[in-house]
Amino acid sequence: MMSSCRNIDLGGTSVLDLMPCGCSSTSSPTTRRVFFGKCSKTVCSIGSRSYGNLVFLRRESQSCCRAIPAKPIENALVNGLGEDKTVMVNLSQESRKEPISLENLFEVVADDLQSLNDNLLSIVGAENPVLISAAEQIFSAGGKRMRPGLVFLVSQATAELAGLKELTVEHRRLAEIIEMIHTASLIHDDVLDESGMRRGKETVHELFGTRVAVLAGDFMFAQASWYLANLENLQVIKLISQVIKDFASGEIKQASSLFDCDVKLDDYLLKSYYKTASLVAASTKGAAIFSRVETEVAEQMYQFGKNLGLSFQVVDDILDFTQSSEQLGKPAANDLAKGNITAPVIFALENEPRLREIIESEFCEPGSLEEAIEMVRSGGGIKRAQDLAKEKAELALKNLNCLPRSGFRSALEDMVMFNLERID
Amino acid sequence: MMMTSCRNIDLGTSVLDLISCGCGRRQFLLGNFPKSVCTARSYGGGGGNLVFLRRDLGRSCRAVPTKPKEISLVNGIGEAKTVSFDLRQETSKQPISLSSLFEVVADDLQTLNDNLLSIVGAENPVLISAAEQIFGAGGKRMRPGLVFLVSRATAELAGLKELTTEHRRLGEIIEMIHTASLIHDDVLDESDMRRGKETVHELFGTRVAVLAGDFMFAQASWYLANLENLEVIKLISQVIKDFASGEIKQASSLFDCDVTLQDYLLKSYYKTASLVAASTKGAAIFSRVQTDVTEQMYEFGKNLGLSFQVVDDILDFTQSSEQLGKPAGSDLGKGNLTAPVIFALEKEPRLREIIESEFCEEGSLEEAIELVREGGGIRRAQELAREKADEALKNLQCLPQSGFRSALEEMVMFNLERID
Repeated sequence: MMSSCRNIDLGGTSVLDLMPCGCSSTSSPTTRRVFFGKCSKTVCSIGSRSYGNLVFLRRESQSCCRAIPAKPIENALVNGLGEDKTVMVNLSQESRKEPISLENLFEVVADDLQSLNDNLLSIVGAENPVLISAAEQIFSAGGKRMRPGLVFLVSQATAELAGLKELTVEHRRLAEIIEMIHTASLIHDDVLDESGMRRGKETVHELFGTRVAVLAGDFMFAQASWYLANLENLQVIKLISQVIKDFASGEIKQASSLFDCDVKLDDYLLKSYYKTASLVAASTKGAAIFSRVETEVAEQMYQFGKNLGLSFQVVDDILDFTQSSEQLGKPAANDLAKGNITAPVIFALENEPRLREIIESEFCEPGSLEEAIEMVRSGGGIKRAQDLAKEKAELALKNLNCLPRSGFRSALEDMVMFNLERID
Repeated sequence: MMMTSCRNIDLGTSVLDLISCGCGRRQFLLGNFPKSVCTARSYGGGGGNLVFLRRDLGRSCRAVPTKPKEISLVNGIGEAKTVSFDLRQETSKQPISLSSLFEVVADDLQTLNDNLLSIVGAENPVLISAAEQIFGAGGKRMRPGLVFLVSRATAELAGLKELTTEHRRLGEIIEMIHTASLIHDDVLDESDMRRGKETVHELFGTRVAVLAGDFMFAQASWYLANLENLEVIKLISQVIKDFASGEIKQASSLFDCDVTLQDYLLKSYYKTASLVAASTKGAAIFSRVQTDVTEQMYEFGKNLGLSFQVVDDILDFTQSSEQLGKPAGSDLGKGNLTAPVIFALEKEPRLREIIESEFCEEGSLEEAIELVREGGGIRRAQELAREKADEALKNLQCLPQSGFRSALEEMVMFNLERID
């Protein structure tokens, strides 16, 4: 029902379809009923951000409110697919101590992400039934859509600076391109790492074979390149092409330093930049470019994305040691087992000579992997990696200072904190 | 080799290093370097003070300008600017060879080779080996050769004297894309031989092959973006998209006897002609000629590419494994139905049966190959190749007569001669 509401002029007949705001999370005692009908400006008490003529409606299965503009919704068609322009507001309390969930963070851009999902399935699946299956396997496998989410949040957060009212077609296309590149790289990575599981499901090549995986990845890279070229923005074209080049460099760097205990923190950070942070940085900078903000802001957004990306990668690498296989959706300590030496290991190696021996033996003895994991923990590797993640997170927060305060900037700050909370 | 060192030296001092032109006709003069011509062909257009020298191993002469060479650095790699000419006799009835066709741009191609190895090998020893495997495996460099020939052929129209850096970079990008697609194709087709050598994935494994291909696509995209020409960026991005579409089209119609000639031509466009057309059009764009000329160059590339693919598909039936450098009849064996088969299927119902059985019976592939030949499949495919070749020749008419235009015409003929 909620979906159908979005397309109806709220001045009209659909009052009965609306549900009153019930977005009280249990900790909030002061939820006010909202008025709809003439759609005057009303505010849910959980968040105090107000946005013009809006009505706040509760989504049935979510705990956040969604705000819907009172004016008629224009349907913008992007490649024949309808998109609603709905303004979303993140209504989580400013001083809340609940854990942040990515879903909540992205409530503000939930519809944009839904359209993105639909577009992606449509682009990838259009050619061939086998690709459709491969696409569904990877796209529906619980991907967080973090990168497109960032594109949308940064777009909105920078829009105000440039006097832009809403997301442009370019912003949306940028997000799709980025998610395609990210997904294509995951598919190929799984071939390269010979991984059988991702996000709790079989990888594309496990299920469909190497050929389909290579083809699906190539197809997505190709589509992304074509859409990129047709954005006709040389700066963004060069930005994203650099990322694709960095991905390949990162894979090579990783592949050539497996089980190499002389790897330094700088090597690791460079590899993490190539493999992860480069794309995030290009997402955030690209969004700023399409918002037409000044160069310094675009550069700050680049740094924000880079620091957030590095922080994110370090956290991922910590979780590989601290979470179970069920939580990870793939075998635990997978990186170490394959010889990929990450931050916790690099730090622990400084204290534990025995660890070096085991790694260099490439875990040929049974039980040696478990021993190594234990040494990483007792050698202070996890803790120092946490410090590193926090350090990068702080840099990322600083990079946001150039943005005006808004719900979107707060959401970006929350993203940084969300990432760190994963390792609290 | 002495010839190589000559290229970089001011010819004023190195008379003793020069070898007299031995291309069979007149002896000519060295020393003060008047304009002298080997009887095989003359090129007033190139002009200036030229000396014709014979390459030790080749049959053609090369012309070397007498002025000091400027070394232009492209990413730190030196390139000598040497103008070369194809000096075969105009009425020669000798079979055309691709290497003599490309004599006129031999140095450009050599530089390209060096640059490619350097770009690909710079990152990693394993990639170097993979790069050498594929780059050293006798590739004809047809696409960059076309870029250079079209560049020079169109240059005159636009008053351009030399190949630009953009032209060279375009040649490199195109060869990288082509090579990357071959490496991945071999993974997708599970082929273990190409050009008489093992494929990259046969030798180094699937992982290295996927990585090498990805790396080359990535490098090509990066260089493309840094050419900063939106028209060419879009042109080449379309090609990369077409490659993927072509692979999918092929993969989803294996052993499908209902495939039509149109399907086949579209797939061949995606997989082969699209890149050739983008090479020739891109070269024209960088020569800054008018739009109708660039469009004619696009059509030329497309028709040449289609003709080329049809010929390749014919050879898969008519050549032996040694000649092909890979098993004969391998397209058919994998269920990839090409022009000769499509034509033969119109006559031979038994052929359909065999193909649909996916050659499960011993000897059925050989029987199918025989049926293709008897059913007139080869002959009709040859006609198709000629038809496309004729159209390609027509597309060249907008170019002024020159040695380079002739070389392009000969490319078309060379391709057809492969099936005479």
